[in-house]
Order: sequence, then structure tokens, then C-alpha cells
Amino acid sequence: MGIKKFIKNVKSSLGLEDFKKEGKKKSIKALLKKLNKRKKDITKKLKSSLNKKEEKELQEELNILSLQIKKGKEILYKLYEKKK
Amino acid sequence: MLRKIFLPSILIILAYGFWVSPNFKEIAAGVAIFLFGMLSLEEGFRLFSGGTLEKFLQHSTDKLYKSIGFGVIATTIMQSSSLVSVLTISFLGAGLIGLAQGIGIVFGANIGTTTGAWLVAGFGLKVKISAYAMPMLVFGVILIFQKAKSLKGIGYVLTGLGFLFLGIHYMKDGFEAFKETIDLTAFAVEGYKGLFIFTGIGIFATVVMQSSHATLVLIITALAAGQISYENALALAIGANVGTTITAILGSMSSNIVGKRLAGAHLIFNMVTGLIAIIFMHQIMYSVDSISGIVGIASDDYALKLAVFHTIFNVIGVLVMLPFINKLVSFLESALKDNTLKSDNGLDSAKYLNDSVLELPATSIAALLKETKHLYDNAFKIIVQGLNLKRSNIISSMELNDVVKEIYREDAIDIDDFYNRKIKGIYGEIIDFSTKAQSQMSPGDIEILYKLKLANRDIVEAVKDTKHLQKNLVKYSTSTNQYIKEQYVAIQRGLAELLRNINIIATTDEEEIVMILLAKAKLHTKKYDILANGTLDNLIRESLISNEMATSLMNDSAYAYAISKNLIAMAEVIFTDSSIDSNSITEEMSITDEDIESILKKEK
Repeated sequence: MGIKKFIKNVKSSLGLEDFKKEGKKKSIKALLKKLNKRKKDITKKLKSSLNKKEEKELQEELNILSLQIKKGKEILYKLYEKKK
Repeated sequence: MLRKIFLPSILIILAYGFWVSPNFKEIAAGVAIFLFGMLSLEEGFRLFSGGTLEKFLQHSTDKLYKSIGFGVIATTIMQSSSLVSVLTISFLGAGLIGLAQGIGIVFGANIGTTTGAWLVAGFGLKVKISAYAMPMLVFGVILIFQKAKSLKGIGYVLTGLGFLFLGIHYMKDGFEAFKETIDLTAFAVEGYKGLFIFTGIGIFATVVMQSSHATLVLIITALAAGQISYENALALAIGANVGTTITAILGSMSSNIVGKRLAGAHLIFNMVTGLIAIIFMHQIMYSVDSISGIVGIASDDYALKLAVFHTIFNVIGVLVMLPFINKLVSFLESALKDNTLKSDNGLDSAKYLNDSVLELPATSIAALLKETKHLYDNAFKIIVQGLNLKRSNIISSMELNDVVKEIYREDAIDIDDFYNRKIKGIYGEIIDFSTKAQSQMSPGDIEILYKLKLANRDIVEAVKDTKHLQKNLVKYSTSTNQYIKEQYVAIQRGLAELLRNINIIATTDEEEIVMILLAKAKLHTKKYDILANGTLDNLIRESLISNEMATSLMNDSAYAYAISKNLIAMAEVIFTDSSIDSNSITEEMSITDEDIESILKKEK
């Protein structure tokens, strides 16, 4: 067995191979949770009576949030894809 | 002058010693091999320190007991308190840890270094360790020639250990043979006179060898061979402890003021510990005998008893000094003042860049990041004043419409003068430091370094563009033509909003806020660009502003756009984790130009 193969075997048996990837998944999930919570709050606020300026600002933030949530989900999906 | 005489004198003394005594030659060769082993061991740990050690250090020094623990463990593993001290100076220089934590590590290192005495006295002298040395050297050298950094690291560590063992073997043999020809115990001096003389010899030997570990091994092997008396060996061990501070002092020469303060703390600690050991010598010796009896060390096993003594007096030193750490920090801060930051003519210079942080790629990057933030701090002040606004208002929660109403002064400020005093020097030092740091970095680190260099360039460009923008901004923001005034005030407000958001980004820990504010900044830069949104065309078409005003506005909106772009790009690097992690999520999830277009379309 070559040394590279040996290190790979040790890594997989100790579950270290996906360590970095798992950490990334965890971070994205935590971030998505926060972004979704913020999105929910803004959507709620938009339903209440607001002046035009406030409404415009919140709508803008909502658009940004939707886009970022979409991006986060795509990254997460790719990470799970790679595992399969 | 002293330096010039020192080296030749040592060489002459050694050469004479080799000539008159082959046994002395063997002992000296043992010391040389041992020191070479330590160098190899240090090289090995340096190769391993590409990330793991730094992360571990950053997370394990937030509390005093943790930093002491770190010092103990790191020194036990690396068997070199000097390497731990030098690395600590490097981390301090980069601003990764504070002086109190640094002192904690040094205290811990002093306890950790006692494990060396235990290993040599308990293991090195009792088994034939040269038998272990040979295979270690062979395997080590084979691994050194491998390309993989980790294998190379293991190779250096194995070779280092091999040489350490071999060195101990030669020292042991040398003293054994020496015993048959000369009896060094004849030179033993009793009482306090002997204590001071041998402490002095211990200091001298450690200063020459630059390693208390090597001195201690020499003492133990000589003691085991019966060549020195037990009392004199104890004094030599105290001297070795004091002498080892020279390594930290030399290491701090190239460091900034915090590194020098740490070396000062190391010297004070070891001097106090040494003094305590000398004053309470008899009491400590009594404790050594009692403890040795309890743990089953034979009363004539002086080598192990020396290890017990070494541990006891270092632990006592830490316990005595521990309550005074904060006082020690205050004393060092007042005794060693930082006078490099600002010179009389107001020239600002780099705070975190010095040769000591070049020890490790991680400390180089951390120092560069801090320095870039320092540069941005200066740039922030200049840009705010260039926009004729007040810094305190920008960082407050005051309405932006009110922020632009309170102007800084009636006329333009001399940005060139500010640039020369607060930006140019630091920027030059950053570029110079980056070039030096790059030479020992991996491709991944170089990529991060490149991003930081770009961030610095963005800051400098933003300041230069502010200079161009300022001239007309001061003129037109108070113009009688309402239309041009409105446009310049809008430019001021837009940049004020950006600077405020960057300030929030710089001070928050919430990742999602950073991402949203950066996205907003990008969106607003595009949305309020009057060249792109048709505002300028309207003003010209309807003849609301003169041709001269139109030209100025066109140029200045381009400057404002460039300032925004540069500052956003800079903030993405220095205020998100992308500067320390090349696989940053913030970077991957940040919005692109295409995303901005899609949001703008949606808004329409």
C-alpha cells in the first residue's frame, strides 16, 4: 500500500475526509437559518402600514435576501451532490 | 567590540580543549549534535505550524490558565522553550494575542521545559538511547527528501530526536571516560559562594549554547557520571533558567514593542525564580528529598532529584509571579514605551509589521490584515474630511440627510499632505513586508496575500479619487444652482451611507448583516450612478446645469463610483472571513453584477 493510499484509508476510517465539507455545510445551514428568519420578519413588517420610503427599503432588502438564500441553497445542494 | 572577541575566544578555548583532552572533544561533540538535533526539531515543527498550531494558539490562549497550559504542552511536545518563546513573540507582534496571554505562555513554557530534565534523567540515562537514534536518523533523513510538507516535517522531527539522543549518548560517554582521567568534583565549591559561581557558569553556558535544554542535559549527564556535585548541579540548573532568557531577548530585537515587553517579562520572571531558588535553596532541597522519597526515587539518584528540583523551583516561580501578571504588564508598558507610532511631524508608520511576525505565514497574514485595517482607519478619516463631513456624524445613527448638512469646514483640506503623512508610508511598508513574507508561503497563502495587497491598493485609490472629487464637491455643494447642488449632496450622502455601512460591517460579528450590507452597498452604487441611471442626461437635456457643471458632474460621479467600488472590494476582503479562509462562504454567497441587474429589473 502506498503512503498516499494509507493516509487516505486512515482519514476515511477516522471520518476526517469530509471534515472540511461538513463544517462548511454546518456554517451554510446556520447562515440560511438566520437569513430565513430575517426574511420572515421583513415579510411580516411589509404587511403592516408603512410609509413609501420604508416600504421601498424593506422591499429592496427582501430582494437581496431572497437571492442570497437561493445562492446558499444552491451551494448546499452542490455539497450534498458531491457526497453522492 | 565584545561580539568580535567573543566568537574567536570560544573557538580558541574549544580547540585547546580538544587538543588536551579527547574526552572533552567527545562531550563537546555531544553538545554540538544535541544542538543540531534541536535545530532539526524546530524546523520540523515549523513545517507543521502551517495553520494547526496558529489556530490552536488563537483558541487556547483566551484565558490565563489556558495560555499557561498551552505553554506547558507546546514546550513538552517541542522540547524547546526557546521555539515557543520565539513563536509567542511572533504572535504578539502580529497582534494575535495580548501581552498577558504571552506572559502566560512563557510561564507555562518554563514548566514545560522541566519535562526535558525528566526525560533525560529518567529515560536517557537508564537505557542505551543511541540504539533508538540510528533508526530515527535513517527514517528521518528518508522522509526529509519527500515532497509532501507533512512527511518532510515528520522527517525533521525524527532526525531531530535522533540527533538529540545521539548527542546525549556522546555526552554520557564523554563524562564516563572523563571520570577515569580527571575528577571535576575537585573543583566543587561549597556554600553560597559555590551557588553564585555555578549559577554564573550555568548562565554563561546557556548564553553560549542558546539552549537551556542542552545545558540541563549536560548538567544531568555530568551529575550522573559523578563529575559535579549535586549542590553545584542545582546551581547550574538555576543559571540555565536565567541564561535561556537571552534567546527571547535576541528574538525580540527584530520585534515590535510588545515582543520586547515579553522578553522583558521572561527575563524578570526567570531572574525572580532564580533568586527565590537561591534564597530558599535549603528548603527546596528538603522538599526535593521529601518528594523523591514519596515517589520512590532513590536517595542517591541525583539525576532524577535534579529533575524534581528543576520542576519544583519553576512551579514555585509561576505560583509566586501569577498574582502579579497584571502589575507586570503595567510595569512593562510604562517602562518600555512605544515611540515608533507617530513622529514629531505627524508621520504615521506601520504598527504590526516587523521581522518577528515573518516567522510563520499565518502571523504574517494576520499582521498584514491588521495593518490594512490600520491603513483603512487613516483613509476613512481622510475620505470623510475630503467629503467635507464629520467623522463622528458618520459613525453615529444621525439621519444621513442631517449628516450632509453639517459640513467639516468651508474650504478644501490638503489631501496630498494627509496622504503623504498617513497613507504613503504605511502603504510602502505593507508592500515591502508582503514581498518578504511571500518568499516562505504556500500557494494558498500567496492567494490570500494577493487579495490583501489588492485591498490596500483599493484603499489608496479611494483616497486619491477623493482628492479629485473634493475640489468640485466643496464648490458645488453650496452652489446657488439647486440642481447641481442636489447632485453633489446626493454624492456626499451616498458615500456617507457607504462609509457608515462599512463601519457597521467592521464592528459586527453577525455574518448575515455583513452580507446584506455589502449587497446593499453594491446595489446602491449601481442604482445611484447618475451616468447609468440617466439623471445626468436629463439635467443636460433640460439645460438645468451649465456645460461646465455637466463635465464636472460627469467626472466626479465617475470618481464617486470608483471610490464606492474600491471601498466595497476592500471591505469584502478585510472585514469578512475571505481574508483568512480561501473557501469563505461570504465570498461564495456575495452578489454579483448579474444579481444586481436582476434585482434592479425586479424593482422596475
